Amino acid sequence: MSESQENVLEMRDVAVHFGGRGGFFGSSGAVVKAVNGVDLDIRKAETVALVGESGCGKSTLSNTIVGLQTPVSGSVKISGEEVVGADSRKLNDIRRKVQMIFQDPALSLDPRSTIGATIGEPLLVRGIARGKALKERVGELLTQVGLRAEHADRYPHQFSGGQRQRVVIARALALEPDLLICDEPVSALDVSVRAQILNLLVALQKRMGVSYLFVSHDLSVVRHICDRVVVMYLGRFVEIAERDTFFANPKHPYTRALMSAVPEADPAVQRSKQRFVLQGELPSPANIPSGCAFHTRCPLATEICSTVRPELTPRPDGALVACHHA
Amino acid sequence: MNTAASPLLSVDNLTVEIGGANVVDGVSFDVAPGKVMALVGESGCGKSLTSYALLGLLPDAARRTAGTVRLQDRDLTALSERQLRKARGKEISIIFQEPSASLDPLTTVGAQIAAAYQTHNNVSRSEAYDRARQMLADVGIPDPDRRLHQYPFELSGGMCQRIMISIALICSPQVLVADEPTTALDVTIQAQILDLMKKLVADRGTSIVIITHDMGVVADIADDVAVMYAGRIAEIAPVQSLFDDPKHPYTALLLASVPKLHHAPKTDLATIEGRVPTLSEFGAGCRFADRCPLATEKCRIEQPPLFDCGGGHRSACWHIDRMPEIRKVAA
Ligand SMILES: Nc1ncnc2c1ncn2[C@@H]1O[C@H](COP(=O)(O)OP(=O)(O)O)[C@@H](O)[C@H]1O
Ligand SMILES: Nc1ncnc2c1ncn2[C@@H]1O[C@H](COP(=O)(O)OP(=O)(O)O)[C@@H](O)[C@H]1O
Ligand code: SF4
Ligand code: SF4
Ligand SMILES: [Mg+2]
Ligand SMILES: [Mg+2]
Repeated sequence: MSESQENVLEMRDVAVHFGGRGGFFGSSGAVVKAVNGVDLDIRKAETVALVGESGCGKSTLSNTIVGLQTPVSGSVKISGEEVVGADSRKLNDIRRKVQMIFQDPALSLDPRSTIGATIGEPLLVRGIARGKALKERVGELLTQVGLRAEHADRYPHQFSGGQRQRVVIARALALEPDLLICDEPVSALDVSVRAQILNLLVALQKRMGVSYLFVSHDLSVVRHICDRVVVMYLGRFVEIAERDTFFANPKHPYTRALMSAVPEADPAVQRSKQRFVLQGELPSPANIPSGCAFHTRCPLATEICSTVRPELTPRPDGALVACHHA
Repeated sequence: MNTAASPLLSVDNLTVEIGGANVVDGVSFDVAPGKVMALVGESGCGKSLTSYALLGLLPDAARRTAGTVRLQDRDLTALSERQLRKARGKEISIIFQEPSASLDPLTTVGAQIAAAYQTHNNVSRSEAYDRARQMLADVGIPDPDRRLHQYPFELSGGMCQRIMISIALICSPQVLVADEPTTALDVTIQAQILDLMKKLVADRGTSIVIITHDMGVVADIADDVAVMYAGRIAEIAPVQSLFDDPKHPYTALLLASVPKLHHAPKTDLATIEGRVPTLSEFGAGCRFADRCPLATEKCRIEQPPLFDCGGGHRSACWHIDRMPEIRKVAA
């Protein structure tokens, strides 16, 4: 019990499906099983990375945590409080504890509002601050993310991409969330700006103890910023491990393929590394392969892989891996 | 650069103007046969305009005001539009970041590849389709017979990029220009496309000019690298030399801002404050001066030429001797 106090997020057997029932093409309309039975805990001040190819369900999972998506089954607790099935008032209360930032800051900011109004909005709407107190709090938030209080009167177009992402982060921090979901927050940024945002996220965590779920496809960024890594494939987790274990001893064939695909920014390392190039592309989540969903692309697949789905099982070093042969 | 082989493509003093400002300013580089040259830099540094200028494909707002682009012994900038059209696809081809945007949505991919072949070869439709089928197999598309009859929307981003490469290469051009060809793709698919490009270089001796902002891609595929900043080449070098011993502050900081294996987790990465100047902000001196930790008065007043550092390594910086100071910042 005391352990669960430490968890800002606890998900149990969560599934999120799209389509199906009453489908346009009749009752057999394909169900997209975007998230298909996942368990995930995130501790206070922990950063968990979620990695996997486009379409594997990362954004759907993120959206479900913040309540933008309703699961067909399972439980989602934020700071110990159940989100699934909660009434709207309670939901509203829980939701301030979890905020989200997206890949493209341009799309998350209203071009007609000053950034001060944008950052202050959640505080105003919830009646937490107004007038002079609001102005002060907005100034404080701007300073926290490395901007200046007097920037409050400017509009989004007057800022660079990196500065806009800082504004988005300031807004997300306004309600002092326990958990910040970052859905590919630096993918659209140039490396020099990306480094600034990563430094900021690390500093904010040290200062405020906020937890992150960090969605990314860039394993060098993941290695830099995360404490634990979760690998997702077609709606399920296939490997979960602490950072050092994960990078020193990746186990699932899919994890190893992902790692080998990310080019290392060092010609000597990159050209001498063992290659494990994945054939083919991600199958459609409307038609998930039987058994181990990865068997259609896995170089280690055997008979059993196409019939029996491997469960996540613990390994001696603490990693959880879903594979018959790893 | 590669002194052994004479260059296949030789770009000299290429200069492109938009609204009175040189957004590409005196860019020169050589590419030997079967070699890969990477142009890198942050967005807005003029990489795409440089690549378009190679094929005479600049947007209306832009104009080439100086420079030559020699392919073997011909200057492409001296050709008429009609001659250029003949050269494009046959001698030099380009592929773009968004393959789906460059393909015709209403035409099957087979017809598009076959048409590209027929543009330069007087052959029958069925012969062109045979070539297209062979090309699809060469770029690693399974079941080419079925794919020939599909439309772009029926294919994934990775498949569309393979189709674009097929169209670009079906007439066996000597040079392929690739503007961020893998930026829109997953890393797994990126690895496949980069491997494919390496195979083309090895099998056909194609030379490649690849534009990217990803130092990992550079490390994977390039033989030589030109780092661009605000329209100019800041540094140009063989790939290993550039990563091991950058001679320009911008390159050193770019490299240091990417987390690497030896970095302790959750420690500060090197950053570059400020941003790339826009065309209206170009000063008289070094265009990196506003962001450079080594900048002096001289830097702001006088543009640094590309200094030869030996071994094919050149850097446009007045203070190359002070690079150890940058390495401390970027440790
Ligand atoms: N609102 C939706 N309706 C139908 N299908 C969806 C919806 N959102 C996502 N999907 C599908 O669910 C799968 C997972 O998508 P997503 O969670 O966005 O993946 P990721 O973020 O990992 O790229 C994809 O096949 C996607 O097409
Ligand atoms: N069609 C255009 N009209 C006006 N400015 C342009 C146009 N295309 C590019 N630019 C400007 O020229 C500069 C270089 O652009 P580009 O070559 O696209 O850079 P990169 O590919 O390195 O990101 C940028 O400042 C950009 O805004
Ligand atoms: S269970 Fe079989 S198919 Fe799945 S990852 Fe392991 S070896 Fe590959
Ligand atoms: S010339 Fe001066 S401003 Fe430019 S990169 Fe060198 S030291 Fe920096
Ligand atoms: Mg997503
Ligand atoms: Mg570009």
